[in-house]
Amino acid sequence: MKTQPLRLLPDTIVMRAVMILIGALVAMSLVGYWVYRVGAEGLATTARDKGLAERIVSIKRAVSAIPDEIERDRAAHALATASLEVHWSKVSLVLGNAPVTERSRAMEVRLRELVPEFGTESFRVGYADDGALNAGEGDAYKHMLLVSVKLDDGTWLNFASPTFGTAHHMAGNILAIAAIVGSLIILIAILLLRWVTRPLRDLAIAAERFSLDEAREPVSELGPAEVRRAAKAFNTMGDRVRRLVSERTMALAAVSHDLRTPITRLRLRSEMLDDESTRNLIDDDLSEMEMMINSTLEYLSVGVAKEPPKAFDLATMLRTIVDGEADRGQPITLKGIEHAPVLGKPVAMKRAMWNIIGNALKYGNTATVHIKPDGAQVLVEVLDDGPGIPDAEFERVFEPFYRIENSRSRQTGGTGLGLTIAKSIIVEHGGTISLHNRQRGGLRVSVRLPVKLVETAMPGSGKCEDASTRQDHRNMRF
Amino acid sequence: MEKAATASPSDHGNILVVDDDSEIRLLITKFLQRHGYHVHSSGDALGVLESLRRFTIDAIILDVMLPGTTGIEACRQIREASPVPVILLTARSEEDIRVSGLEGGADDYITKPFSPRELLARLRSVLRRSRGAGQTIEIVSKGRILFDGWNLDTLRRELTTPEGVLIDLSTGEYNLLVAFLEHANRVLSREMLMELAKTRTSDPFDRTIDVQISRLRRKLETSETTGQIIKTIRGAGYIFVPKVTFG
Repeated sequence: MKTQPLRLLPDTIVMRAVMILIGALVAMSLVGYWVYRVGAEGLATTARDKGLAERIVSIKRAVSAIPDEIERDRAAHALATASLEVHWSKVSLVLGNAPVTERSRAMEVRLRELVPEFGTESFRVGYADDGALNAGEGDAYKHMLLVSVKLDDGTWLNFASPTFGTAHHMAGNILAIAAIVGSLIILIAILLLRWVTRPLRDLAIAAERFSLDEAREPVSELGPAEVRRAAKAFNTMGDRVRRLVSERTMALAAVSHDLRTPITRLRLRSEMLDDESTRNLIDDDLSEMEMMINSTLEYLSVGVAKEPPKAFDLATMLRTIVDGEADRGQPITLKGIEHAPVLGKPVAMKRAMWNIIGNALKYGNTATVHIKPDGAQVLVEVLDDGPGIPDAEFERVFEPFYRIENSRSRQTGGTGLGLTIAKSIIVEHGGTISLHNRQRGGLRVSVRLPVKLVETAMPGSGKCEDASTRQDHRNMRF
Repeated sequence: MEKAATASPSDHGNILVVDDDSEIRLLITKFLQRHGYHVHSSGDALGVLESLRRFTIDAIILDVMLPGTTGIEACRQIREASPVPVILLTARSEEDIRVSGLEGGADDYITKPFSPRELLARLRSVLRRSRGAGQTIEIVSKGRILFDGWNLDTLRRELTTPEGVLIDLSTGEYNLLVAFLEHANRVLSREMLMELAKTRTSDPFDRTIDVQISRLRRKLETSETTGQIIKTIRGAGYIFVPKVTFG
């Protein structure tokens, strides 16, 4: 037996496809987001830096034009905004020996590019976080870009601007939108995939319900190419199986039909014999041949026979079988309910019951048949007083042509099909059959069949009105 | 008894045997001759109507699997020409053919391979019934017999309850029920019942009529209706109480 591999992947095609889709969507979003971030941030930073540089230049010019030192500081404060602090002082805020980092150099180059006038000015660029300031001032200018511009008189204008990133505020919204759109896409994908894989499910259902019983509607060859192909292959296979089985069945039926003629002739010929004992022996042999032909045909016809399902009374059926066997002098009794309506094929079911009871009488010496309700089922038990059978044989006795060693003797005969036929018929009716060895010896065969009819189907119930009419008839006649 | 029969060959009647197998035709002919019948035979359906015109035929044994035309068709043609009783020879599995044969007017059927003694019994039975026609015993109506909501299909030999549940009957019980239905509301003695019920069977295991009646009652009746369908008339016999309609 193949062991079930540990299942890491989801089970259905739909779920697997959805997993793949989710993976692809997430990967695409990440790449897109990254491309967007790099591009948009680049643009935003350039625009911001350009604005910053221009403002620095214009503030520097405005402040340079004021000769008074007190006025200069006031003007610098007046020109400051939330995004750009401006202080006038005698010294540069950015140290002359401020470390030149990558971003400070980039900023310096960018300022020079954007505002060519700066080319001649002396200025210093640094980031507070990179250690561009005196240790004492580092905390006050945390996360700030600092630019110190030297005025013509040797004093300094110090600019400080936060190193903010606008893109961070948008990120949350973008992720939420991406999640909603992604979910919608996945939902639509699930519906579409279910639609696409529906022919596959139909195919599986058709395969489960496949039977030889009748020419079923072929599976519709719709859906994607792979499924169409599978459906077509299934239909072809079904036809082939049906044809094969029907050819073999026909061949066997033809043989047994052709055997009927010589057997009929032999019966007529043996009737001409004056020696009665020989005649009886020939008749017995002919009966055995007939029985073998019939049981083989019955075995082949289970599930194929066209017998229409009907409501029938299992209890009266058992009554007929038991009475018939009792009349032949067999030690057999029937106990239990008088009526047990079930739905099924009465001819087939009678064969099944007769086979089980016949087995009990043949190998078990006696037969006691019980019929009783068992929940939603009806239970038929056939008990005998024979030797029983070894537990190991319980399954094998249902195999076709299998016979337990001691039943192969010529006296008991048999084709080894009785229980096989019985089980096939019972299973076809949705029932079960099981064997048990009885404690005090003998075999117990338990058959459970579903009661598909409601209780009102019991004969006799609901006949109150009829009873009064009947009463009238009786009064009239007597 | 056999010797007496061979001494006067045509005492029991003229029988026409129709079967395409010449050996079987010959063997049935010999067998029936030994039992005192005069036998004509034919290999196909065409010869049947010809024989019916030329001879007085008391009964026909007809194989349904005939070349050229089906036995069912032949059976219809026979019925149009004559009321002579017909026994069909059918295969075990051919229930549909059997039923349409009976619908087509056949009186009985026997499945191949049959026992010759069974054939003889059926033959005697149809002959007795056809000869008894118009006398005290009526001929069975073919089709459905209804009583008290119950339905007996005489072609399929099926009895169903008013609720539509099929009730299984043994041959003996079936024959007894038909006898009762054909003589409903009349007191029937044991002897009459035995005679009526026996006309359609040769079952050597037939129990006494009382046992058969009690078994039939058991299948027909539930506790609330016990004794109301088939009533015992002390010292006289039995009576079938419900109103019977033939449909």
